Amino acid sequence: MRRVTTAVTTVGVLVAASALAACNKTPTARSTGPQIYAPIVGGPHALPPAAAAPADDGNWTMPGKNYAQTRFSALNQITPANIGKLSLAFTFSTGTTKGFEAPPLVVNGTMYIITPFPNYLYALDLTKPGAPTKWMFKPKPAAASQGVACCDVVNRGAVYDNGKIFFNTLDGQTFAVDASTGQMAWHTQLGDIQKGETITMAPLVADGKVIVGDSGGEMGVRGWLAALDEGSGKVVWKAYHTGPDKDVLIGPRFHPFYAMDRGKDLGVSSWPPDAWKIGGASAWGWVSYDPETKLIFYGTSNPGPWNPSQRPGDNKWSAGIFARDVDTGQAVWFYQSSPHDLFDHDDVNEIILADIPWGNGRRPVLFHPGRNGYFYVIDRRSGQVLSATPYGYINSSKGVDLRTGRLVPAADKEPQPGRTTRDICPASPGAKDWNPAAFSPITGLVYIPHINLCQDEGHSEANYISGTPYVGADVKMYAGPGGNRGVFTAWDPIRHRAVWEIKEDLPLWSPALVTAGNIVFYGTMDGWFKAVDARNGKLLWQFKAGSGIIGQPISYKGPDGRQYIAVIAGVGGWAGAIVSANMDPHDPTGALGFVNAVKDLPLKSTAGGILYVFTLPR
Amino acid sequence: MSVRASAKAAVLPLLLGACQYQHYQSDFGGAAVEDRQFLTLFWIFIAVCAFMYVLVIAFLIAGIARARRVDANIVETGRHHHSNPLMRSTLIGWTALIGVGLAGLAIASFFTDRSMARAATNQKLSVTVTGNQWWWDIEYNAADASKTLRTANELHLPVGVPTRIFLNSNDVIHSFWVPSLAGKQDLIPGRKNDITVLPTRVGVFRGPCAEFCGLQHAHMSLVVVVEPYADFIKWWDHQLQPAPQPTTPLALAGYKYVTTGPCSTCHAIGGTPANGQVGPDLTHLASRKSLAAGTMPMGEGNLYGWVEDPQSLKPGVNMPTIGLEPGQLHAVVAYLETLK
Amino acid sequence: MSSRFRASCILLLAAAALTVSACNREEHHSRAKPIGENIPAGASPPTIFPGGGSPPPLDARAALYDNNANAIGKGQQLFIQMNCVGCHSHGGGGMGPPLIDDQWRYGGRIDQIATTIAVGRPNGMPAWRGKLTADQIWDLAAYVRSLSGLPSKDAVSSRSEGMSAGTPQTLTPHGEIYNSDSAQQ
Repeated sequence: MRRVTTAVTTVGVLVAASALAACNKTPTARSTGPQIYAPIVGGPHALPPAAAAPADDGNWTMPGKNYAQTRFSALNQITPANIGKLSLAFTFSTGTTKGFEAPPLVVNGTMYIITPFPNYLYALDLTKPGAPTKWMFKPKPAAASQGVACCDVVNRGAVYDNGKIFFNTLDGQTFAVDASTGQMAWHTQLGDIQKGETITMAPLVADGKVIVGDSGGEMGVRGWLAALDEGSGKVVWKAYHTGPDKDVLIGPRFHPFYAMDRGKDLGVSSWPPDAWKIGGASAWGWVSYDPETKLIFYGTSNPGPWNPSQRPGDNKWSAGIFARDVDTGQAVWFYQSSPHDLFDHDDVNEIILADIPWGNGRRPVLFHPGRNGYFYVIDRRSGQVLSATPYGYINSSKGVDLRTGRLVPAADKEPQPGRTTRDICPASPGAKDWNPAAFSPITGLVYIPHINLCQDEGHSEANYISGTPYVGADVKMYAGPGGNRGVFTAWDPIRHRAVWEIKEDLPLWSPALVTAGNIVFYGTMDGWFKAVDARNGKLLWQFKAGSGIIGQPISYKGPDGRQYIAVIAGVGGWAGAIVSANMDPHDPTGALGFVNAVKDLPLKSTAGGILYVFTLPR
Repeated sequence: MSVRASAKAAVLPLLLGACQYQHYQSDFGGAAVEDRQFLTLFWIFIAVCAFMYVLVIAFLIAGIARARRVDANIVETGRHHHSNPLMRSTLIGWTALIGVGLAGLAIASFFTDRSMARAATNQKLSVTVTGNQWWWDIEYNAADASKTLRTANELHLPVGVPTRIFLNSNDVIHSFWVPSLAGKQDLIPGRKNDITVLPTRVGVFRGPCAEFCGLQHAHMSLVVVVEPYADFIKWWDHQLQPAPQPTTPLALAGYKYVTTGPCSTCHAIGGTPANGQVGPDLTHLASRKSLAAGTMPMGEGNLYGWVEDPQSLKPGVNMPTIGLEPGQLHAVVAYLETLK
Repeated sequence: MSSRFRASCILLLAAAALTVSACNREEHHSRAKPIGENIPAGASPPTIFPGGGSPPPLDARAALYDNNANAIGKGQQLFIQMNCVGCHSHGGGGMGPPLIDDQWRYGGRIDQIATTIAVGRPNGMPAWRGKLTADQIWDLAAYVRSLSGLPSKDAVSSRSEGMSAGTPQTLTPHGEIYNSDSAQQ
């Protein structure tokens, strides 16, 4: 009798305990504290290559911090112990109200800010109190370019090199401005808005060349990446991403790892006749550079139109990663992560260079959290995919076949003409869109701010008229499983799993910053600028900015030797277009489907464009 | 000549004439396996039903003739007849005959349907026909994406090759019906139907749209050209070529207008900047046999009329009347005529 | 005359009146006007008319297209084919401003909308003059007005096309939320 009683009591206690535990797992749409999946283990972990990630001098000269795109600051004055005292040092209003995706640059006591259209460039003097403006430069881009920019009139950043600031304007020009005087050194017209080309990406300056790519995958452009001479602005080489091999700069150096990417003139033969001329595959994202091998790495955008039945074939060279020689632009390898892309899964996300422990030594790889939901670890010498692990919920594909390198699609999620396919995950912005992750060489983790959205998609016949959109799809997005639209993941790239995760109500559209003080900074779309512990995700500090944050936070050493954290708040971009473009929430298909997912955003954030700079008090 | 002879003389050419057009757009064309299967079933039905019809008429005549001779009083006095054994066995035989006949028709129908379904395998060629108001968008599918061909309103098929035709619609329900080749199959928006055709005779056939689809349903016809396989491949290769460059100044002026003016918002011409997808592909317009989806034969005069004022030839069609100046009209038609 | 004759006369007249009133709504303009015709010159956007000036009168063609079911239907088809959906979505906006609200940067009168479509606007609205006929432009203008619930409810489409199956235009409340039709000048 007593044994039975004990057994019943034990079972009862266990049931109660598991019920209580289950309560905690109830999904809630509100922002939650971190879910810790695995403690950080010690041992050798990934490190950025030294040549691409040199020692930190306290400046921030390019949006990615360095050529390896780590977005890691070695400054460690601010720590979890003292961050409670972090406070505002000064602010600056940029006068714009469109989505602000660019970071401020800091070079030896001057801060440079590039705004969204009309792309004003400000130089602030950090040596004086209140950081007064030294000069401002107005490039005066054509106003009509706003009509061919798909996803808010953003600018992803300027770059400093050799005494000049380089940046792109929405109407397709690249400018070089003297960093001390604000006088224009040169400007080059690269894009043609009559064809729907704009430029929103931040250029990369490497080996004396300014690397620039176009935008317009939704406008039926022909994508390209060009290199301009740093001193004169003349085009040194230009590589297209569709068409014959000679246009794509594919020659004897080209050795793709997988058979699906090998062949002659694949940029023509994998498209219906003439479709490659309006096939998209632009380059509007991030470019990385390995100075040791002199290779640049970047991804190409979706093929056009979104309606895949109008472009049978693999649609090379869209939705894939190129490695090119920086001197000549000749392609060295290519990997297509989404052949015959069905869901606008561009591949332009950041490419973080790292060396990982492999056998007895280290292997040079790149980390790439892709739009299609897979975290790729790719050997950066050969293009071989070492692993592709889902870092978000995916039902639109079944995995990546590592033997052939090919994405395995899910047949039931393939959109059909005239019908609506429902519950496609991840949605078109993917498990993560343009907003880049940060990589800490101290913890060895990749800090990924991303989204959790699924969508319904219907296709119709897209008509091509140059200068107008070439899409052919109606989309409606909504929160994915769990109800939270945003998620911040700390990812272990060696063990291929999340270490900790924070669920956010709104999609996370801001990049991440990680410091040597083991603090990760990111912003939410309703304006909370958050600092969390890099080791366990615990919220350490937060600040409510005047507008949602989608811009890159940076950390720099001020003229007084203190560590500063700076971010510019201004909601917008594709996710925030409902606010920055004053859209009407009654139409759920607005902003290519995003309006339906963020109907509550106008109440949670208004438009803006204000710089906030924080530091510890003396 | 007597009246009867002159009547025959008048009717005969009509009959011959009917025979002449019989195979262009006729269920009796028998130019493909599907149509022949249908015809076989049709003649079985005709034979069985005709036989029964003749029997019924014969009995009716016999009944009328007999009733004339028999005394009408019988009915009025209500005198009963004993059951007539002949009548009874005839009735039983008649019912049995009907049963056998119907069963036979059902079996014949079943086997025809099964054989048509079996033919819908092993297709070598795949075509997608998309119905629009009021024209046919035709795309030949190929494993090599760069060999996919997009054309309009004229379907070429190789003789002796089973072809699977996928059917879709961009707006309302249309129906694919080339009577000489096969039966009807609807083009339903949002649904992918298909029909298999195995042509057996070379020739030119016509297929009207067979489901009312709006104002110009009557002017929406498909021209189907069945040709030997080698000719078909030559035609396909030729259609893949981009449009030739204009050589005369007039054609060049027409090219400029077509690629920069209103035409390019809807039409595509391969190898030129004109890439509109919502209207018929014009790359090899002049090589087609008809204009405006079978509304009129291809020819210079018809081209002039169509380009200048499509609304008067096919009122309500989506192509607008632009109101070209005479010089522009000459130039545009001159250019279109080079698109062979 | 007899009462029955009078009754049938009245009925006939009533039927005729109904038919005539429905005529405009269903009139088809299939023979379009040439593209060389003037864009409505009088349709300037809402602005100041100094010295006691007044806004230009409504273009004469407005009556042919406003509240015309056929024009709104053709405009709906053209709205998708000419990629207006790419910038304005199904009225919610995007690259271009929303069309389902009651804010009209350049005027919401049908002739003002037709002018906007024809000549383009500075912040990226393309100029369609020379690419679309005047008839097509007016059809589009009629449809754009229907996106914000302005035409009469018996002329608009009663079924919402497109994937998201939003509120059909016959039930669109936008035109009724606000007390005055701000498009009327």
